[in-house]
Amino acid sequence: MIFTNHRIEFDPEKCVGCQLCYKACFVDVIRWDAEAKKPVFKYVEDCEHCFYCQSVCAKEAIKVIPDHSSEHLLQHFERYA
Amino acid sequence: MEITRKELKCDVLIAGGSIGGLVCAVELKEKRPDLDILLIEKQVTGYGGKANKGGGVLQYFQFDKITPMEFLEFHVNEIGGYLGDQDLMLKYVEMNHEMLDRLSAWGVKIPKQADGTYAVRPTGPFTAMISCELDLCLRMRRTAEKLGVRIMDKTALAELFAKDGKIIGAAAFSILDDGTFYSISAKKVVLATGGQNYRVGPMWSSGRGDGIAAAYHVGAEMRNAEFGNFSQLVRIRSHHEVVYGENNMYNALNEHVTKNFTNKRETDISSKAIREWYLNMKNGTGPIHLEYGDDPRGKILLGGKRPPAPPRYADKFRELNDIDGLIDTDIEVVPMLIGEQSCVKVDHGMQTTVEGLYAIGDTSYCGSGVCGAVPAPPARNRGSGILNAVFAGILGADDIAERTVEDVPAICPCELDKCFEALYAPLFREEGVSEKDVIYLVQKAMAPSDYSVYMEAGRMKEAVALVEEARALVPKMKAVDMHGVLCCREAEYMVLSAEMHYCASQERKESRGWFLREDYPEMDNENWLKWIILKEEDGKMTLSTEDVPIEKWPFQPAK
Repeated sequence: MIFTNHRIEFDPEKCVGCQLCYKACFVDVIRWDAEAKKPVFKYVEDCEHCFYCQSVCAKEAIKVIPDHSSEHLLQHFERYA
Repeated sequence: MEITRKELKCDVLIAGGSIGGLVCAVELKEKRPDLDILLIEKQVTGYGGKANKGGGVLQYFQFDKITPMEFLEFHVNEIGGYLGDQDLMLKYVEMNHEMLDRLSAWGVKIPKQADGTYAVRPTGPFTAMISCELDLCLRMRRTAEKLGVRIMDKTALAELFAKDGKIIGAAAFSILDDGTFYSISAKKVVLATGGQNYRVGPMWSSGRGDGIAAAYHVGAEMRNAEFGNFSQLVRIRSHHEVVYGENNMYNALNEHVTKNFTNKRETDISSKAIREWYLNMKNGTGPIHLEYGDDPRGKILLGGKRPPAPPRYADKFRELNDIDGLIDTDIEVVPMLIGEQSCVKVDHGMQTTVEGLYAIGDTSYCGSGVCGAVPAPPARNRGSGILNAVFAGILGADDIAERTVEDVPAICPCELDKCFEALYAPLFREEGVSEKDVIYLVQKAMAPSDYSVYMEAGRMKEAVALVEEARALVPKMKAVDMHGVLCCREAEYMVLSAEMHYCASQERKESRGWFLREDYPEMDNENWLKWIILKEEDGKMTLSTEDVPIEKWPFQPAK
């Protein structure tokens, strides 16, 4: 099983509740807390670090920190001397 | 967990809210305002899909410099390997300017010069490009909504239903916590759900094979499933693609190994570059790195901004994701599987072999036969990705618009119950495996280049064993919530796509276009000017072949 180790830093103080990050996420990492009017970064292990959420946030409240070392391209490196 | 069930009705159901689905919806609504169109999108329409995450390039043909027939000849000989539908490719080229004009009229901002002509950037002897901002799908969504297209976001396609060979509707579900189950009665269904990317490549993995699986299970034929193995050279650390890197490949002995597979500048990544990487790694002369020397394109190709272009998300992406830095030389690269299986077979009106079921864009790119022996766009035809989806969306909509849209019988309640039970089963298993276990096995079977790109019978057997292992785990997958249910479905679609890839690839005993076999290195026009057709019959995958009608087209292989 593969678990990625990407992180998403979120500053709720800067967030104005525009929902754009929630809409932008194409892999369902981000859910919306309707009561708090804030995003919930619920499934970060599935993040594809497309940075769409970070790019659309006008208030710069989101920072995606990918851990590339936790991703695997699964080439057969062990077979190549 | 109590799941609510709801019934919906529409004339035309479109699954997928990226550029293909939106173009189809808008074109159809303009032609047939009387039709009630419902568009469902697994994530959010205008944001999901691939079109807004690529390079934002639109292919442009300068018809004063090249005729459609000249481009077709180049494509057939250099890219499509005589396996393409030449009529369809010619139509795609001829409609180029019309498609751009239509996108503009629908509100997409396509940069123009002061004199009103498009801001075109020549990219090679045969093609040119226009860079557009990646808000094109959002603009199309606004147009669709203004025209009265109904849109339901966070709603995923689960299954299709047909009666007497005709489509009658679909089942879908909310991916949000409530998990609402929808039965949708529809007179026509358009699949615009993208292809299959196996979740290997970050950012490029939006395609999860939803539409391919749904079409396959309702009895539609698949074509060219073996061309779903697109790979790109990426940086070893960031897994970031390096556009045009194949021209500048050097091995550990500092030999310019690009010369081993081509003596000209490649227009796009070639599977021969992937083979060259493999051969060097196997022979101990790897790893492969890129060197640009004095090539002024180096900085651009290694991630810098590409002038002249409007501010683009693609540039922002590169900036944020660039951990290798903007260095000029010595960058190690490795192939990364992107996949792009797009095998739903369609005719020139984008209708599948099931009446009333259509498939467009990356769902049916190879299945339409337009491209020949290459995976889905750009497929060695830069800038064709977005425009192919536009092309297929228009053709599909026009075909539906010209037909009588008749009432359809109700979906059988027992079939809906069966779908319901299978869909939510992972939620109710007390014990089971994670979908990640299944996906990992599929990725292990598909991602290695010596399995899926540079193929050979023995290595394919190893890959197939991994796919079989994954298949055996499918009925054991467990989910704790609707996100998990969605991931379980996607894992199952990945297993199916991998099965189709190896079923067809083992059969094609030759090398052609993108398709490379170590054990059959030559193109075999005597035996393999054929399309491989896959179909589900009695729950089993069946394989047949169909002759390519090469004699009726302008360009044939030399005898």
